[in-house]
Amino acid sequence: MFNWLTVLETLGYILIFPGFLFCFLVGLFLSGVDRKIVAKMQKRVGPPLLQPFYDFFKLCGKETIVPAAANKGMFLAAPLVGLASLIVLQMFIPIFNFTAFSTMADVIVILYLLLIPALAMILGGAASGSPYAGVGLSREMVTVIACELPLVLVLLAVARTVGSAMGKGLVFSMSEIVNYQSANGSLITHVSMIPAAIAFLLIIPGETGSHPFDTAEAETEICEGLLAEYSGGPLAVFKLSHSVKVLTLSSLFVALFLGGLGGKIAALVGSFGLSAAAAGMIGGLLGAIVLVMLCLVITIVFISLVHAITARLKVEQVFKYYWTVVTGLALLSLVLAWYGF
Amino acid sequence: MSFLSYQHFPIYSVMALFLGAFLIVLFGKSKFLRNLIAFLATAIALGCMIMLIKPVMLNREIICYWMGNRAMAGGYAIGIAMEVDQVSLFFGLLISTAVFVACVYSLQYMEHDDNKPQYYTLFLMLAGGVMGLVLSGDLFNMFIMVEILTFAAVALTAFRNKAFGALEAAFKYLVVGCMGSTCILAGTIMLYAQAHTLNFAQLSSIISGDINPSTLVAFALLYIGFSTKAFIVPFHPLAADAHGAAPASISVLISGVLTKSGVYAILRLTYFLFQTMQLGSIQFMLVFVGSVSMFVCVTMALAQHDFKRLLAFHSISQIGYVLTAIGLGTGLGLSAGLYHAMNHTMFKGLLFLAAGAVHFRTGTTDLRKLGGLGKKMPWTCALFLVGAASISGIPPFNGFASKWMIYQATYQKAVESGNIGFLLATIVALITSVLTLASFVKVTQSVFFGQIRPEHEDVKEVPAGMIIGMSLFAAICVVTGLFPRLVTDFLTGPAANAALNPANYISSMLAGAPVYKTYEVFAGAGVWSPVNWLLLLMIALLGVTIVAVLSKYDQVSESKEGELVDSKFALFFGGEKTEYSQVGGEDLFWGFKQNWRHYFSFMHELHSGVVNDYALWAVVALALAIVFLQIAL
Repeated sequence: MFNWLTVLETLGYILIFPGFLFCFLVGLFLSGVDRKIVAKMQKRVGPPLLQPFYDFFKLCGKETIVPAAANKGMFLAAPLVGLASLIVLQMFIPIFNFTAFSTMADVIVILYLLLIPALAMILGGAASGSPYAGVGLSREMVTVIACELPLVLVLLAVARTVGSAMGKGLVFSMSEIVNYQSANGSLITHVSMIPAAIAFLLIIPGETGSHPFDTAEAETEICEGLLAEYSGGPLAVFKLSHSVKVLTLSSLFVALFLGGLGGKIAALVGSFGLSAAAAGMIGGLLGAIVLVMLCLVITIVFISLVHAITARLKVEQVFKYYWTVVTGLALLSLVLAWYGF
Repeated sequence: MSFLSYQHFPIYSVMALFLGAFLIVLFGKSKFLRNLIAFLATAIALGCMIMLIKPVMLNREIICYWMGNRAMAGGYAIGIAMEVDQVSLFFGLLISTAVFVACVYSLQYMEHDDNKPQYYTLFLMLAGGVMGLVLSGDLFNMFIMVEILTFAAVALTAFRNKAFGALEAAFKYLVVGCMGSTCILAGTIMLYAQAHTLNFAQLSSIISGDINPSTLVAFALLYIGFSTKAFIVPFHPLAADAHGAAPASISVLISGVLTKSGVYAILRLTYFLFQTMQLGSIQFMLVFVGSVSMFVCVTMALAQHDFKRLLAFHSISQIGYVLTAIGLGTGLGLSAGLYHAMNHTMFKGLLFLAAGAVHFRTGTTDLRKLGGLGKKMPWTCALFLVGAASISGIPPFNGFASKWMIYQATYQKAVESGNIGFLLATIVALITSVLTLASFVKVTQSVFFGQIRPEHEDVKEVPAGMIIGMSLFAAICVVTGLFPRLVTDFLTGPAANAALNPANYISSMLAGAPVYKTYEVFAGAGVWSPVNWLLLLMIALLGVTIVAVLSKYDQVSESKEGELVDSKFALFFGGEKTEYSQVGGEDLFWGFKQNWRHYFSFMHELHSGVVNDYALWAVVALALAIVFLQIAL
């Protein structure tokens, strides 16, 4: 059955909410707040809140230069692939009770989709042919490996906790994880999930490559590394992806650990006594607003604050930090979850 | 039976390959005849296997074929038997596909070499040996086929004997390979002495319920013997040497076909021959060895700076995935393992062919001496990227579908058995996957991207025949990745069912009619529908592209003439020696290796490259296997 309404709805999901437009607005808004807050912490005035938007449109209007040594196709396609996969990822993360495509999400798929933006940046940088990008690539990949182990452990711990609580053994589906929390309260209330939540919050700055884990971009040493040769539109898309990744990771955190708020929102909306359609609409809207607020808190505390108070680490220190401290937390959580705490 | 009845197809496929080998000895002088015979032989083998899909996979028949119609007499199976069940056919399909593609690729790839008749003869002997092994119905024929394929593989490893290390690699392989073959022979003898038969079905029915210490020793001998064919830990150094030295088309056979014969034999032993053994301990052994192979080989690969050696270590790492999944003993695990075995043949074949293409044009596979070839060889580069994405398990390519099933299977097993060890296997598998990605990023960066070397300025794309070979593999990678249900329903599902119901195999040989038991499709607990995903990604990509196009693309190429004449990274290092740098093929992931330096230096010392050490490892592995089996069962 070919239904135009379904097609229109799908397109709406992809282009407006929770797809492209939502990611664009909220992602750049978060990064504007981040820049403003960091400036305040460093006793500077800082750029206006909308500066990332101005930057994006300004870069789009600039000339795009492709170096002669570059592999042109890969150089220009990489930013688009990275952004597209982030938007797809964002659509599979449930926003409380709202999921655009409920049946398809799975924690392992999310784990792999999270790799693609980093991989796109690596391939784009490699394709530019610049040796600075070569060094940036090495560091980016090591950071990805560093974050991967704790992330795997956190996701397995979550899958195990929900699985054993539901009596099913293991649950990998994102929507089941969120629905369980909606009915039974947030996962963060489980003792075993507290270390996992902390570990996940510590992974966010590493995955997004913000201070002090921004070895791959290190402006002072390797001229922004992977982005060294990028200019104009492709650079704008990479900067946008960077901002969207902050949103994606924070909303993944909310979905995994704070999903219980979805139940509260539903109960609140239910108490108004509206019709089902209107309740769904208002519930979705309210959920989106709560999500943005939570993302804002996570950005301020775990990206801006961390940025303001730390200096950049060396790449082997990044690796060591993630494979000892953060992995330790995640492992603790997995062991606790395994024995049913 | 008419000559075209499908009952004959298994023997036809083996005959075609061996007959081709002998005909090439006779008529190999002529280039046309030689190529024609090789092409026809491999095409007939593939055709026979494809024709068998309908009766065996869909109608679930098991073909028992007695050579010369000497069927069982007096309760003993004396004649030579071939028995083709779903497992055999599954491996037969993989093997014949890889052999066919490697043959198409060889036609142009081997142009520059001498002794082409010998090459094709050995090539077809190797292919026929593996084919005979997976279709054979008795243990002694399996041993004969192992001998044929080992010697063909040794000779082919040393085929380019003027190249550095080729003879050494062949010698190492010869020594340890012969130890393996001897183990297989000894195990076969021990079983024969006990059961007075070599037919699989009959052996299995006789020794079932009578597992005594001597059968356990026989199992250990056979297991170690076939491990040397699969190159799993501790036999992985041989693979690296052999792959590095052999021509690329032979690397495809060694990695995609020969290792599969080892995996097939281990599967056959565990689930059919020794089906009544206490499976728990054997499962532990397989999962343990598989996980160790996965991790050790991927870290060994990270330290390599030769394209083909790196691929060789990855090959064993992927075999580790297969072994782990097969060792789980669950339907999902077997299905996942077989799926990954199939994917491994395809993407590893593709990657080796891409390495061969690079070698064909530049004459080297040293990552430190390559760079920037993506612009000169766009097809090879694009096809290589498909292979790299598949092996790293990037959705929606085929590696992701099978790895995803493996993670689920190991995790499910851990939850069901309450054994945290299986959970460790899941974690190791996930980490291995990202390390695999890392080392392919390194290859991509140092071969296809980055600065081009002055001596490779006039490199051209490889001839069409080689591109066709690579494209065939790439097409299979994409199709099996996009439609995983096709594979699980029609190929791996039936094979997994056959492995879990060995009674069918035994009764169809001994009584002539199989006893059908339950049949299920094993396809993972969750929903993985890559087509929907791909559509979504496409739409999202389209949307983003429209936005990007509207924002005015203006491409100006900046000339960089005059710079970078000497060193690959002169720009960055100001002429400093690049040996100590962290860029390019040398030591790209320094940040990772720095933290693991003790591990890496330990591994470096361990892999001494001395064949005596590797022979010792084989003996130690055998002793450990015997002791473990005696204690555990």
